[in-house]
Amino acid sequence: MNCEECSQLISVYLDGELEETTAINLRAHLAACTDCAKLCEDFAAILDACNTEDGAETVPPNSQALWCRINNLIESEIKPEAPPVVEEPRHRIWQLSFAQLAAGFLGIAVISSLLTIVGIKNYNRPDTDDFTSRSSSSQTTFEKVMSRLGLMETPQQARDRRIKEQQAAIEYWNTRVQVRRAQWDRNMREAFDRNLNEIDQAVTEYQVILQQDPQDDLSGEMLDSALTEKMNLLREFSDL
Amino acid sequence: MICRPSQGRKKVTATKTTILLLLSVVFLFGFTDPALAQKKFSRSFPAGTGVRMQLMNRSGTVTVVGWNRNEISIVAMLEAPAANIVPQQSEGKIDINLVRDNQGRGEVGNVNFTIRVPYNATVDIETKIGNLSVTSVMGEFVRAHIGLEGDITLTNIGAANVAADNVTGDIFFDGDVKEGGSYRFTSMKGNISIRIPFSSSFKFVATAPSTRDISMGPFADASMNSLGSGRRIVGKFRDGAATLSVTNQRGSIRFIQR
Repeated sequence: MNCEECSQLISVYLDGELEETTAINLRAHLAACTDCAKLCEDFAAILDACNTEDGAETVPPNSQALWCRINNLIESEIKPEAPPVVEEPRHRIWQLSFAQLAAGFLGIAVISSLLTIVGIKNYNRPDTDDFTSRSSSSQTTFEKVMSRLGLMETPQQARDRRIKEQQAAIEYWNTRVQVRRAQWDRNMREAFDRNLNEIDQAVTEYQVILQQDPQDDLSGEMLDSALTEKMNLLREFSDL
Repeated sequence: MICRPSQGRKKVTATKTTILLLLSVVFLFGFTDPALAQKKFSRSFPAGTGVRMQLMNRSGTVTVVGWNRNEISIVAMLEAPAANIVPQQSEGKIDINLVRDNQGRGEVGNVNFTIRVPYNATVDIETKIGNLSVTSVMGEFVRAHIGLEGDITLTNIGAANVAADNVTGDIFFDGDVKEGGSYRFTSMKGNISIRIPFSSSFKFVATAPSTRDISMGPFADASMNSLGSGRRIVGKFRDGAATLSVTNQRGSIRFIQR
């Protein structure tokens, strides 16, 4: 028998359940091997400790009476709890903290203010044609404040935007006219160029005035009118 | 004196040559002068009360005259190459559109129209180049538009809404100013003259930014305001029952008593 076989059979041997032949061989090995003998002693000591009963530690003298006292003590110290109330989900929604309520009110106030500003802005904004021809001197105080806040265009900004839009349209129609004009007779081409030149001269005249005096309402209006005239002329001749 | 046969033959030949040359000249002029190459277009349409006459010409003059008949008469003189004219009649409207009818064609000659309409007709006429004239029309409105250049003459007009505009050319209006009416005259370069009765009642805006040449004549009164250093005059004459807007970017404006 070797040490491995011995270690596996020690527990069975100590329980007295090993066959006699095997037990003889085991004892012979334990006599010859000190390690296995030491292991067998350790096992035997553990088994002895487990088999030893200490009634004073494991079972109280009157366990039933003790449990009754514990139970009475618990019942006397703890108040009876109120029956649990099942809350409806709707009530839980309204149970908001102060911070949540404050944030809610703040949000509503901000949205209302923005809507009011936008509404007033739209209500007070004059027609595009009028607005593009106005100077800052003709702005109301409200419009000036809104312009400074960046919530409303200044008359100059509106005019510049309008001129850009018109020039884009002029470019578009001019491209179409250039395609068509080859089909016109010479008289028509010459008259077209002559009249377009008249309009361009007026446009240049107003642009020069506005460069010198951006507040000149009338020149702004006339520039807008001349550009519109040019745009209409090009559009009219784009399908001739 | 001896008459030699060769000299007589030469005379006959010279005469024949002269006659042939003259005939050639007449023949050539006959084909090259546009006036002699004109075609005539003539149509008439029955017209009810308040009929609308709408015409879009390419180039040439348009003359519209009111008359005391329930009929529209259209006469057009077409210069070569002759334009197509296809009048379209729908309920209460006669429509002639030479731009549409000659789309894609290269050169098209002038077409000079003379149109007669009932007094109470509405007139809406346009041309690209050429003069427009409307006389004795009292319908709902009169509109005369010249795309490029030409004069507009509106005489004896009784319409409550009048609009006339061109780029280059004069505009002359002679007529009544109806209560609640709207009158708009716009030119880029030319002279605008408004001849109206002294009894007229209107508010007005007259703008001549380049020349500042605005003359209100007998209609000038203390209620008028000069704006932009004389470039615009606004005001009201009598009760201001009608609205007049006159803009001449690079020309003059004159108000004349009728």
